[in-house]
Amino acid sequence: MYRGDVRVMLLVGCALTWTLSAADVQPPASAAVAPVPASKPVSKTPPQTVPLSGDAALAVLREATKKTFNDKVAPFVKTYCYECHGDKRRKGGVFFPPAMKNPGDAAYRRHWKTGLATVNAHDMPPDDADKQPTDAERQMFMDWVGQLKYLSPKDPGAFVIRRLTKTEYGNTLHDLLGVSAEVVKELPDEVAGEGYLNTLSPLQMEQYLGIANEVLNRALSAPGTAPTAVEQRLFGAAPAADVKTAARNVARKLARSAYRRPAMEAELDVLMQVFDLAQRNKLAYPAALRLMLKAVLVSPQFLYITPAIEAAPGSQIVPLDDWMLASRLSYLLWATMPDAELSALADAGTLHEPAVLQAQVRRLLKDARARALFDGFGAQWLGLGDLADKTFDTTKFPQMTPALRTAMYDEARLFFSSIVRDNSSVVSFVQSDYTFLNGALAAIYGMEQSVTGPEMRRVKLTDANRGGILGMPGILAMTSFPNRTSPVKRGVWVLEQVLGQHVPPAPPNVPTLEKQDKKKIANLTLRQRTELHRTNVVCANCHKILDPIGFGLENFDAIGRWRAQDDTGGAIDAGGELPGGKRFTTPKELKGIIATRKDDLARNLTEKLLAYALCRELEGYDEIEVDHLIADLKPEGYRMQSLIAAVVSSYPFTHRRIVESLTTASNVKK
Amino acid sequence: MSKSSLLIDRRTCLRGLGATLALPLLEVMGWAEVAKKGRAAVKPPVRLGFMYMPHGVIMDQFWPATPESFLTAPPPALESLRGVLDQCLMMKGIAGIPIAPFNGAPHALELSTWLTAQLPDARQRNRINISISADQIAANYVGALTALPSLELATMPQTHKENQEGLNEGYYSHCSFRSATQAVPAEINPRSVLNRLFNQDTAGTGGKAGGTPQANALDQSMLDLVIGGAKDLRRKLPQDDQHKLDEYLDSVRAVERRIAAIEHRQKEAALEAAGVSSSKRKASDSPPIEIKIPVGDKRSEYMQVMCDLNVLAFQTDTTRVSTYIGSTPNGVSYPELGFKDEHHSQTHHNNQPDKVGKVEAITAFNIAQFAYMVKKMHSLREGDGTLLDNCIMMWGSGLEDGNKHSRENLPFIIAGKGGGSLHTGRFLPNLKGNQGDLLTTLLACSGVPLDRPIGIATKQLTEMKAGGV
Repeated sequence: MYRGDVRVMLLVGCALTWTLSAADVQPPASAAVAPVPASKPVSKTPPQTVPLSGDAALAVLREATKKTFNDKVAPFVKTYCYECHGDKRRKGGVFFPPAMKNPGDAAYRRHWKTGLATVNAHDMPPDDADKQPTDAERQMFMDWVGQLKYLSPKDPGAFVIRRLTKTEYGNTLHDLLGVSAEVVKELPDEVAGEGYLNTLSPLQMEQYLGIANEVLNRALSAPGTAPTAVEQRLFGAAPAADVKTAARNVARKLARSAYRRPAMEAELDVLMQVFDLAQRNKLAYPAALRLMLKAVLVSPQFLYITPAIEAAPGSQIVPLDDWMLASRLSYLLWATMPDAELSALADAGTLHEPAVLQAQVRRLLKDARARALFDGFGAQWLGLGDLADKTFDTTKFPQMTPALRTAMYDEARLFFSSIVRDNSSVVSFVQSDYTFLNGALAAIYGMEQSVTGPEMRRVKLTDANRGGILGMPGILAMTSFPNRTSPVKRGVWVLEQVLGQHVPPAPPNVPTLEKQDKKKIANLTLRQRTELHRTNVVCANCHKILDPIGFGLENFDAIGRWRAQDDTGGAIDAGGELPGGKRFTTPKELKGIIATRKDDLARNLTEKLLAYALCRELEGYDEIEVDHLIADLKPEGYRMQSLIAAVVSSYPFTHRRIVESLTTASNVKK
Repeated sequence: MSKSSLLIDRRTCLRGLGATLALPLLEVMGWAEVAKKGRAAVKPPVRLGFMYMPHGVIMDQFWPATPESFLTAPPPALESLRGVLDQCLMMKGIAGIPIAPFNGAPHALELSTWLTAQLPDARQRNRINISISADQIAANYVGALTALPSLELATMPQTHKENQEGLNEGYYSHCSFRSATQAVPAEINPRSVLNRLFNQDTAGTGGKAGGTPQANALDQSMLDLVIGGAKDLRRKLPQDDQHKLDEYLDSVRAVERRIAAIEHRQKEAALEAAGVSSSKRKASDSPPIEIKIPVGDKRSEYMQVMCDLNVLAFQTDTTRVSTYIGSTPNGVSYPELGFKDEHHSQTHHNNQPDKVGKVEAITAFNIAQFAYMVKKMHSLREGDGTLLDNCIMMWGSGLEDGNKHSRENLPFIIAGKGGGSLHTGRFLPNLKGNQGDLLTTLLACSGVPLDRPIGIATKQLTEMKAGGV
């Protein structure tokens, strides 16, 4: 870790720092949680251990944070910020008074974090301001922003009833009725996980009805023909007498699977009304059941994950009932409905028990259906989702065929699955001595002699520059331009996707590489040109962090092949120094340095997976929860199955807020 | 049109008026039949269409030099509109809504504010919370009269992953919002659109709504029961969940309306086949245009078939509102123009001639697709004029200049006379207004009564209207 030995990087107007992550500004949390004396730089202060745990410890931290706010932060803001961002002026649209009244409100989180970045960068207060804070005051403010999370009330976030995604809906129809999941292909494509748009439009509803018709045509027998196996399983034999009781039993069974929870009697009544409607229209028993099944397939209880149990009046936060938990878990890891075992545990009411839940996570992860976790989460995390469609310069890279792209994707997928299945440490994502190749992909590695044929297989690597996601062709290709590498894109990717830091976008109107004087750059390598670009002061602050990482990977060309020279014929210089004086000369050494940042790797992955699992961006209290998860996972060395199990067992995954906002707001009293 | 609709019971509208699928505009709304009976002629309905291009334009290639030269010597970007410029209206001085505090997300904002003239809720960036968009306001008003309340088209999957400024990903690829929290997805597959307009089954898609009349009636009754059940469920759920079920109920009702429309159309066809009544198409109307779905991956052909579908939907009065995201802010390239660079990367051109040239070419290309659409509309007869006469087609972008992300003078082209409400053939060089004013004006011109201005609007731009010179 660089913590403690590196000064926080100063950046212009952005929150990008090499060292200042949430992990740095909070105490190392284990069983006990320590409050942070906010007046000194955290990294220099040995944590005071408070023999408290859980909610009591949090309460202590919350009080300390409030006290610091009242004693120090509020005066700081009033002294240095209010002239432009106070009651009278709102320069740049920034306006502090509401945030000062309720600093813990999630709505102002971004406000404070931006404040941290600009104060850190000495962007604010501006140079011409009358009063400038001392370095110690700046540090105090920044430390406090790091503790802001302690003002958030314990809040799991809303888990609004969620419509199944296109993928989930297709898989569920497959599991329920044995039809191909392809039947949903006409639906609009959607983003899964964090950023999922949980909305429904007439277009989709029309398609749901159309798909329901199609699915029933495929799964059920035509009139006058023998019933299909699915039909026999779902409908049973036609009863000789008491048709209604039989139909109600079928309805109960159908609803249990399709709604993924027991149906309430009122819900069965609706299905029976549909059955009666069919009978009134002279439909035979199987045809009446078919109409009932169609009603099931277009009902909100099927299309959405809904609770089985009505929340008690007045409650604000409730645990998920076991059926809802089973669905949430199953859709997270398998992208389909719960199987028989999960359903049985939900029926027994034991799924929420920590040991049971953890064991189920491990069981689900061993199943082939767990590839959904890569397709939904892993590919998004690694930025491989669009590999099939990315444009490449086909004259320069004729080998980027659909088959090779698939192999690149599968390499990452199989690698991800192997780490999950073997319960390896998250560090293996960065450093490993194996990968998965077929003949075509082996050519990219220069290993076409030893690996041939179309099937992917596990291959031992001897070149330590390879192995792990940093040297993986699909990822190297996705972080390149169509015709050349982009050290900047690669640098951003490593910082954001691997280490979990936020890199702000380039401001508009910034001169790019091509703007440079043609004569001056004629004989320069891409690296030399990029460095020239960094002499511009606007760009320098961010790029001096981004670029060295990207340069460290310059030995890999735009589709991931090893090279000693870049396109200009100049020798690749993959050496550099990261802030803090860690030097490297090869991709292997760069990987080695990044691999030592275990806590950051684990925190990043935990945050990204939790956000994906919750289908929302993390906020306030989630940061505290992540601290807890990280503390729990650290002793074991951040193993992947444990990490996934921890996310599934976490408070926000197992609970939901059912009111718009909690009434126990953590207002700071003056 | 607004007056007629008040005369008709809503249920009647639902059952009867959406039935014009696949037939050119009928007299169902009474606009022709009433005329026959000797009353004052009722005009064809006004249709409202929006077509979007991201990243702004090269200003000196886009704005006409003077009002006089607009028709005689249009700027290069408008070359493709020659021949219909007298049907067009351009106005300079339409400001975009200022995007602070979302300065770091200009491309999410250029699209999501385009038809809302409103910023996302800064307190809940995580989820969609903006406001209903102009097209959906119109759809709420006229949508009940047609088989589809509105048509949303795009040429890219709406799956872009990015969350600058903490904004929900949906803001990067959607511009239509049915409510503040409900983004409307667009269709990107021309075949699905065709199926949807004509209720056709094709191999593999099968089973769309629209079986036998008996099956349709049964489906409708079944959906009524399901709606009843959904309402029960709604009562038992917390408030946020209830909003989700409102979306569901709204969508199911739209499907019911569509089934009713299909049913009606089937009855009409049966009567016609039996010789009981003749086709209602008027001699003055052009027959429905033919749709050819392209096989290759040429972008112009793809964009044009979506234009054709838009024309067809309007011509047959299957819908009166459309929104066509010609391209999204991310990931579009135009190999047909001889280069593979992605649109966005070229817009940060810093005045380098080669990049500026590419942005010009991309802009002209997009406008040419719009020109293709409006020219086609102008070639179709409807009543005493052309289809375009009864349309308001807005082409535009959410940025003025993609290099600087500026939004002071958003580029728009309006085509069509809006049933006589717009005074076309003009360039208004000094209009002072904002994008909300523009949307409010266009909705007013299409006969949509507004109970409040759209987004930041403060007024209507009367200068644009017929008689408002």
